[in-house]
Amino acid sequence: MNTAKDDGRQESPGEQTLSFRPITEEDVVPPDDAPDDRARQPAPEERPAPVEPLPRRKPTSRKPASTSAAASKTPSSASDGPDENHRPAADLEPERKRPSLWERPPSPAEDHAPEPKRPSLWDTRSSPDEDGVPESESKRPSLWDTRSAPDEDRVPEPEPKRPSLWDTRSAPDEDRVPGADESSSDAERPSLWEARESAPVEEQDESSPDEEPEAEPKRPSLWDTRPSSDEEPAAAEDEPSEQERPSLWERKASTGEGAEHGRKTPPGQDERHGSGADEESGARTPHTPAGEKTGQGAALPAEAAKTLMTALDTLRASVAELRFGLDLPGADEARQARADLLAQLQDYVLPRVRTNTAPALIVIAGSTGAGKSTLVNSLAEKNVSRTGVRRPTTGIPVLACHPDDHKWFAEGELLSGLRRIDKASPEAGPDTLIVVPTEKLPQGVALLDTPDIDSVVEKHHAIAQRMLDAADLWIFVTTAARYADAPAWNLLRLAKERGARLAIVLSRVQPKAREVVLKHFVRMLTEYGLGDIDRFVIGETDVTDGRLPDHEVTDLRLWLAELSVDEDRRALAVRETLNGVLDSFRTRVPALARQMESQVNFRGELRTDVEAAYLSALTEIDKAFRNGSLIHGEVLARWQDFVGSGDLMRTIQLRKRGRSARQAPERIMAFRAALRAGLESVIVIGASRAAEEVVARWRRRSPLGAALGAELDRPSDDLVRHASRAIAAWQEHVTDLVRTEGVAKRSVSKLVSFDADSLSLIFMVAMFTGGAAEGVPHRLVNALLGAESLRGIGTKALSDLRARIGMLFDEESMRYVQALDSAGIPDESMATRLYQATYNLEVAR
Amino acid sequence: MSTVTTKPGLAQRLAALTKIVELGPGRLEPKLLAEASTLLNRAGERLKLSSEHTVVALAGGTGSGKSSLFNALSGLELSPTGVRRPTTARTHACVWGLEGAAPLLDWLQVQWRHRFARASALDKGESQLHGLILLDLPDHDSIRALTDTEADRLIGQADLVVWVLDPQKYADASTHRRYVTELAGHEAVTVFALNQADLLSTEELAELVIDLNDLLRREGVEHPSVVPTSAVTGRGVDSLKSVLAGAVSRRRSAIQKLEADLHRLEQRLAETMPVGEVLSAPSSVDEARRLGLTDALCDAVGVPAVGEAMENVYAERSMRWVGWPYSRWVAKLRPDPLRSLHLEDVSDEIHGITTSSVSAQTAETVNAVQALADGLSAGMHPVWRTSVHHAARSRSAQLPKALTEDLAEVAPRLDRVPGWWWLLKVWQYVLVAAFVLGLAWLAVGVFFPGRAPLGIQLLGDTAALPWVGLMMASVLGLGALSGIASRNFVELGASRERERLEREMRRRVAAIAETMVVEPVERELGRHHAFYTAMNNLAR
Repeated sequence: MNTAKDDGRQESPGEQTLSFRPITEEDVVPPDDAPDDRARQPAPEERPAPVEPLPRRKPTSRKPASTSAAASKTPSSASDGPDENHRPAADLEPERKRPSLWERPPSPAEDHAPEPKRPSLWDTRSSPDEDGVPESESKRPSLWDTRSAPDEDRVPEPEPKRPSLWDTRSAPDEDRVPGADESSSDAERPSLWEARESAPVEEQDESSPDEEPEAEPKRPSLWDTRPSSDEEPAAAEDEPSEQERPSLWERKASTGEGAEHGRKTPPGQDERHGSGADEESGARTPHTPAGEKTGQGAALPAEAAKTLMTALDTLRASVAELRFGLDLPGADEARQARADLLAQLQDYVLPRVRTNTAPALIVIAGSTGAGKSTLVNSLAEKNVSRTGVRRPTTGIPVLACHPDDHKWFAEGELLSGLRRIDKASPEAGPDTLIVVPTEKLPQGVALLDTPDIDSVVEKHHAIAQRMLDAADLWIFVTTAARYADAPAWNLLRLAKERGARLAIVLSRVQPKAREVVLKHFVRMLTEYGLGDIDRFVIGETDVTDGRLPDHEVTDLRLWLAELSVDEDRRALAVRETLNGVLDSFRTRVPALARQMESQVNFRGELRTDVEAAYLSALTEIDKAFRNGSLIHGEVLARWQDFVGSGDLMRTIQLRKRGRSARQAPERIMAFRAALRAGLESVIVIGASRAAEEVVARWRRRSPLGAALGAELDRPSDDLVRHASRAIAAWQEHVTDLVRTEGVAKRSVSKLVSFDADSLSLIFMVAMFTGGAAEGVPHRLVNALLGAESLRGIGTKALSDLRARIGMLFDEESMRYVQALDSAGIPDESMATRLYQATYNLEVAR
Repeated sequence: MSTVTTKPGLAQRLAALTKIVELGPGRLEPKLLAEASTLLNRAGERLKLSSEHTVVALAGGTGSGKSSLFNALSGLELSPTGVRRPTTARTHACVWGLEGAAPLLDWLQVQWRHRFARASALDKGESQLHGLILLDLPDHDSIRALTDTEADRLIGQADLVVWVLDPQKYADASTHRRYVTELAGHEAVTVFALNQADLLSTEELAELVIDLNDLLRREGVEHPSVVPTSAVTGRGVDSLKSVLAGAVSRRRSAIQKLEADLHRLEQRLAETMPVGEVLSAPSSVDEARRLGLTDALCDAVGVPAVGEAMENVYAERSMRWVGWPYSRWVAKLRPDPLRSLHLEDVSDEIHGITTSSVSAQTAETVNAVQALADGLSAGMHPVWRTSVHHAARSRSAQLPKALTEDLAEVAPRLDRVPGWWWLLKVWQYVLVAAFVLGLAWLAVGVFFPGRAPLGIQLLGDTAALPWVGLMMASVLGLGALSGIASRNFVELGASRERERLEREMRRRVAAIAETMVVEPVERELGRHHAFYTAMNNLAR
């Protein structure tokens, strides 16, 4: 087994596949699936193949390396033989042979495989890893048994870490959680457990809708229900309920077994497997029948619950602290999402985790006029919710439950944000909930009638959304006239995303149209991947006194009763939805964090714009100082005046006893003023260019930037005043410098005296003329002050001027910073904290 | 096909809208602009097409019974109805009175196979519907409609829209938020048919009609016309027909629709760019502003300073020519500080400057232009303010160069020596010579009395000596006086020269400012004015 060879093979996987495929596929695969399968190559798990051997063969044919990896692991036959010989053989082997080769051995291999075996496994595996990431995906199904496979996706750990399985196991844990690490070190026989644990969790991290099928093939194979593992992917896709059940049962058995094996693992961790598995089934197959893992689903051990609570509390606190100050695209949605998330945490998740034995809350949602209230009334056999022809009818949610459960709902934490009232009253505000007890409802289930999702009263949508967020089960009501409405399907999509337990009621069906409508609806549902959800059909009948005839709701009533009686099933349903919600946090919280990050980034970008604009303005000004463009216009004319009129000559006097050089100051004053004006206008132009630049950049970034910079496209009103003050001060400073530091050349000072005011002006002209030091001013100041001290003064004067302008510009740019600040300062650590909280939650589960 | 006799207002308003669309790019939001030009196109196309026909669209959510109502109105099973949702995916059309309808249907993009005709006059008492084109639209609210904008498009194109509502869906957000709230002002071309009335009892129907009316009023439809119908029982279909017949016979729906759309658009335009006081903004650059700009640009060039410098330099240099030589010679005897610094060439260099340099300072010219634009655009909409600034600055990169080059032509030469300086100089030297002569005379008279050179007795005349001394003193005095006087003359001339120079420079600066700043600005101001005038006309 050498990597080089493997690499070589990897480079042309396509050819190989081509050459081997026809044979194997024609044998076993339905022709439909073959191209399909290949098209999906980048993420083959998207949909597990319907036929049993396929999931395994996919990797074999496509991933030579993984094949060999798997093959090498099997203790049978040629695991140590040359790889190249082995693989083609494996590929061409009749499929029915494969299962035995494949599936039987791995479990012993995993549990008892002696260390020496591992290196070989490792070698082969490493090559695909090196070759590229996309490969690792398709490799997965075959590598489940190797435990480390799932890690490969996530943890780009250098390969050397993985030589043995034991390392593999701990490596990801170290990366991820200290907590998990501890628990793993506690575990006596950790290999199997750890692998199993990390696999699902990490898989979830990738959390996206398409994770769904991905998990199917993986999970079963992790447990030692090998045979069933093949059925499951197929089942998940096509015939979920019937076929899945056995495998699930088997799974359950294995859990028990696993639990026995893992006796020594701490309870918290143990529980995590349970919940992990549980949540898997909840998230991936919302329709998984009840019955498994009841104990775990219903009663979370205290410690695990506590960990979970802590994690959730942290998450809630982090989310509560979120503020989206900047109105970026998506900020409104993020604010809404944040509010929803917070409400859901408070209304539902926290109470649910705290007390998971509570009665199940079944929320009835749907379009306006679909008959939600009528349905609740009929089931409750009591007019608990007003019905009518006006649309929308129900504005305040109504909760109907068995009297025994009344206390829980009336006082409980569930939906604690809502004020409970007994009956509808006109003054009831938006945050109210009517709780009505009725004995006709079975115990343990409560019905919640919600406002519509699609009427013109938009606040109803929000209320309905909030109720759905708190639901343990959703009953979605639509009608024969509405089942194709876009809002309805949006809701169904949401339910699917959330992994909520769902039942659908199609009401107001004309008896004669029943067949057609139902068929069409079911087809639409199936296309949407919801074909197997519990469905109830209610005909268009006369509604008397706000209720349907009893026979129309018999099915539903039975369904409720079943839920009521079968506590396990109910608890499972509750648990599934909860897990679905917790799963949804994986995407929802990071989405918030991303928005937060984008706010932080946006702010950073805007600040960068400001800085860049003012920096370039400073550079421009600096350039103007150097290239002599300042000595133009009036300054130049005044200079000529100063020079040509002989004032310059008069500046310099021979030193004679006590005679001070004094001459008409007005020309000097004018010259000085002109110089100041020139400098000032250079600064003002620089500032206003920068201001425009900032606003233009902001505008280009987003409309929000344009709004923030609306009034800031001019320099501030004070700028001119401040600038002239700064320059006057600078001129003073230069005069001082000339006076105090310019006396260095003794030979000169013995001979001549000069007027510091005038000389400083000459000096400034020399400084701003730039270019070669040829001109009159240069030579003069050079001769008078000496090159050394001239250089010193020059440096000081220039840096002083720069500093002054810099301060002016700082003041200017502060206006933008203030504008930004006034829009809210996003907390930069927030996003990290959110990610951390999400992550902790995952760990705690 | 006759041309539509539009109300005079509509044509003018469309012309105003054309102007707005023309001036809009870069100034209006692209979306709004696109809508405006869409409306303009639609108006143009619709007005070109048959005015004898009225396009009535049946719009509504899926399952409200549009197709059933369509069939009930046409009396034929033209559009398939069904229980599957959504049923209708393509628009069906039924025409009463075919003549001239085909181009209209083409414009509406109704497929040939979905077009049906009623031979109107022959039908039982349906002559009043002659000219009706009834459209059965696909729904706008199903999942199919998410990817299909046909309903949306036709709701815009139809002359009159019948919103088919039903008891289940009449308050759907998809209808109200997207369409009804946009309907304010469209009362004349909108009818609400509350279909499936047969499902309700009389009281329920009454309650519902009241509720619907309230709802519509709340959304800004002031006088909604609500017609309860039932496609199943045929109830109310006749009253809907008569409503349609009224609209068809008036032949005004197309224009009313366009007017209502224009009104709507105008309101939205006015929201983004309110006319208000803006029309009082200057449409040209007035004299005071021009003067201000010229002044500012003159300052940027340093015109006054150039003048002053010239004056001072002249005064200084004239002393070489017209100054009293003796005082100059005396000054020269004083030690030169530059010489002691070995900088003799500096003064030579200074004297070597022959022309005063005139150049514009870039920063100050930019400031001047900016100030003009600021003053002019005060109170304008930010977008226009920006565009005025851009216009003002459009050539400001070349401005300093143009100023410098143009003014350099008139820059005064500093080494110019007027003829009278020569005369004065000669005169001064004559005086100097006289003084020297006098001195010689004096010397001869004093030291060699009587030994005067040949033939000149006068020289030897000692009696003349005091007179000679007097004369010499007066020559000195005359020299000093003429030095002062000529200096004054020089200064006078220089200041006159300076005035002339400044005038000339100002004139040139003003000319350059006119072409490089004022003209582009005025063009932009004209656009601004035209835009808001058009806005005003549109609102009328």
